[in-house]
Amino acid sequence: MMTAFLGSLLLAYSSMLALCQGLERHYKQVWGRAPTLLQRRVLRGSGWLLLVASLWGCAQAWGWAMGPVGWFGMLSLSGFALALLLPYAPRLAVYGPLLGLPCWLLLFALAG
Amino acid sequence: MKQTLTQSMAWLHTWGGLLFGWLLFAIFLTGSLAVFDQEIDHWMQPEIKQASVSNAQAVEHAVAYLQRQHANASAWNISLPSERMPALRVTVGDRRSGISTYLDPLTGEPLVVRDTAGGTFFFRFHYSLSMPRNPGIWIVGLAAMAMLVALISGIIIHKKFFKEFFTFRPNKAQRSWLDAHNASAVLLLPFHLMITYTGLSIFALIYMPAALDSLYKGDFETFYREHIEVMEEPRQAQTHPAPLTPLTPLAPLLAQAEARMGPLSGVVIEHPGRSDAHIEMRRVLGNRIALTKGHNMVFDGVTGELLAGPPELRPSVLAQRVMFGLHFAQFGGYPMRWLYFVCGVLSSAMIATGLVLFTVKRRRKYASESRLGQQLYRLVESLNVAVISGLAVACIGLLWLNRLLPVELAQRAGWEVRGFFAIWLLSLLHAWLRPRLQAWREQLSLAAVLCLGLPLLSVISDGQAWGDSMRLWLEVTVVALGLLLAWSVWRLHQPQVQHSERRVRHAQAQVN
Repeated sequence: MMTAFLGSLLLAYSSMLALCQGLERHYKQVWGRAPTLLQRRVLRGSGWLLLVASLWGCAQAWGWAMGPVGWFGMLSLSGFALALLLPYAPRLAVYGPLLGLPCWLLLFALAG
Repeated sequence: MKQTLTQSMAWLHTWGGLLFGWLLFAIFLTGSLAVFDQEIDHWMQPEIKQASVSNAQAVEHAVAYLQRQHANASAWNISLPSERMPALRVTVGDRRSGISTYLDPLTGEPLVVRDTAGGTFFFRFHYSLSMPRNPGIWIVGLAAMAMLVALISGIIIHKKFFKEFFTFRPNKAQRSWLDAHNASAVLLLPFHLMITYTGLSIFALIYMPAALDSLYKGDFETFYREHIEVMEEPRQAQTHPAPLTPLTPLAPLLAQAEARMGPLSGVVIEHPGRSDAHIEMRRVLGNRIALTKGHNMVFDGVTGELLAGPPELRPSVLAQRVMFGLHFAQFGGYPMRWLYFVCGVLSSAMIATGLVLFTVKRRRKYASESRLGQQLYRLVESLNVAVISGLAVACIGLLWLNRLLPVELAQRAGWEVRGFFAIWLLSLLHAWLRPRLQAWREQLSLAAVLCLGLPLLSVISDGQAWGDSMRLWLEVTVVALGLLLAWSVWRLHQPQVQHSERRVRHAQAQVN
C-alpha cells in the first residue's frame, strides 16, 4: 500500500507540474522564455494523462471507493506545494519528480 | 447605494470571515489535531507500553481479570489494543459511564494510569468547543454555515480563479498574504467544501429537527430503530438474575467476527456468567468509508451461536453514514490520516491568512481614524494574535501540562483543561498589552520552544528515551511543527517590505 501511495503522490505532483508548466506565465517563471505552442500542448496533454494515472494509483492503494478521496487530497497538497516552491526554488520544483522517481523505484524494488 | 454582486459578496466575505474566522480557526486546528486523537491519548498515558499480543490472548487476560474482580457485574466491556492505541481497557457496567481499568496486555495485571484530558479533548473542543453539548454544537454549526458562506462568496469575488491557480508571490506585503490566502483556498477547495458540508451533516437532525418532530414526534430512538436494523437489544438487568452458566470460549467467536468484519475494536459481554449472556463483537470504524458505529455481531454467550449482525444498511442510511465517515477519516489507514491532517492544518492556515489580511489591508486606513476606530482595530489585531499563535501555545501547552502536573492530583484531567484555557486567556492579555509585532514574535517563539522541547520533557519525565515508536512519531511531528513555527518567527524578524511597492499595489487590491 505504501508503494502505491507514494507512487500516486509522485504522479499527482508530476501532473500538477505539467499542467502548471503548460501555462505561459509559469513556464516563463522557470525558463525565462515563452513556451512554443507544441510544448504547451505536450505539457498539458501529459498533465491530464498523469492526472488519470495518479487516480489509478490511488485506486491501487485504497480501492476505487476510498481512492478518489485520497486522490483529491493528493492533488490539492501537491498543487499547493508546487505553488509555494515555484517562487523560491523553481528548478527544484521542476526537477523534483526526476529525483523522486529513482527513490520510488528503489522502494518498489525493495518492497518487491 | 447601488452595489454590484461582487461588491456585496466582498463585503459579506470580509465581515462574515472576520466575525467567524477566529472561531473557525480554533475549530479547524483542533479538528486537525483530533485526526490523531488516539495517538495523542497514548502519548499522554506514558504508563501504557506498546506490546504485541493477539486479540485472543488480550481477551483471555481481560476475562480472567473480570471474573476475578467483577464476577457479578451486569456487563463487561473490553477495549482491545490496536495499531493506534496499544491499551487494553476493561469497563464494568455501562460502556460510557462505567469504571475503567487499564490492564497490561501481556500479563493481565491492572496498571495505574494517569488521569488525562488526552487527545479526546481536541475532539470534544472541535465539535462542541468544550461547552455543554447542545449550545456548543449549535455554535459550531453556525460557524460551519458561515464557513460555507465564506467559501462560496470567496469563489465569487476571486476574479482570477484559474489564471492565478498556481500563483504565489512572496515578499510583497499585502499581495503575498492575498496570494497565500487564495492559493490555499483554491487548491484545497475540494477539502474545504467536503469537510464543512459533511461536518454540518453530522448534526443535521439537531439543526433541522422538523422532519423528526412531525414524523416521529421528536423521538430519535424510534427513527433510529426504523432506519437501522438494530439487533435485539439484550434484555436489561432483571430483578431475578438468570441462573449461573459458564461462558462459551471466546477465541472461536473472535476468529469468526474477524473473518466477517475485519479488525475488531472491542468485545462487550452482557450478563456474563449467566444463562442469558450475550457477546457483542465490535469492529474498528475504518474498514470502509461509511462510519460503521454500532454495526456489530452479537453471539449467544452460552452456546456461541450467532444471533444477529452485522446489519445491512438501507441506501439512505448508507449515504448518511458515508458522509459521517468522510468527515471522521477513520478509513484508509495512516496515509489517509496524514492527508486529512495536512489538509486540515492548511485549512487553518487559510483562515489565519484571511484574518491577517484583514488587518494588513486596513493598517494605514485605521491609523487616521477616530480613537474608537483605532481601539477596535487594536482589538482585532490582538484577537488575531491570541487566536492564532495563542491557541498554538495552548495546544502544545496541554501536552506539557500532561507531564508537569503531579500524577496524584485529584481531578487531574480537569486541571489540564483548565490549564489549557488559562494559557489561552493569558495569551489574549499578552496580545493586548504588547505591541503587535512583539506579541506575534513572543507567542510564536514560545510555541516553537515548547514544540522543540517536547522530546526533552518526555525523556526527563518518563526517564526513558524513545522506547515507544508511536510516541517517537508524535514527538518527531511536533518537532517538525516547531521548526515551522521557528521559521515563521525568523521571517517576522526580516526587515519590513519597502513601502513604495505597497502603494502601487494598493489601488489594485482595494476590491478584494
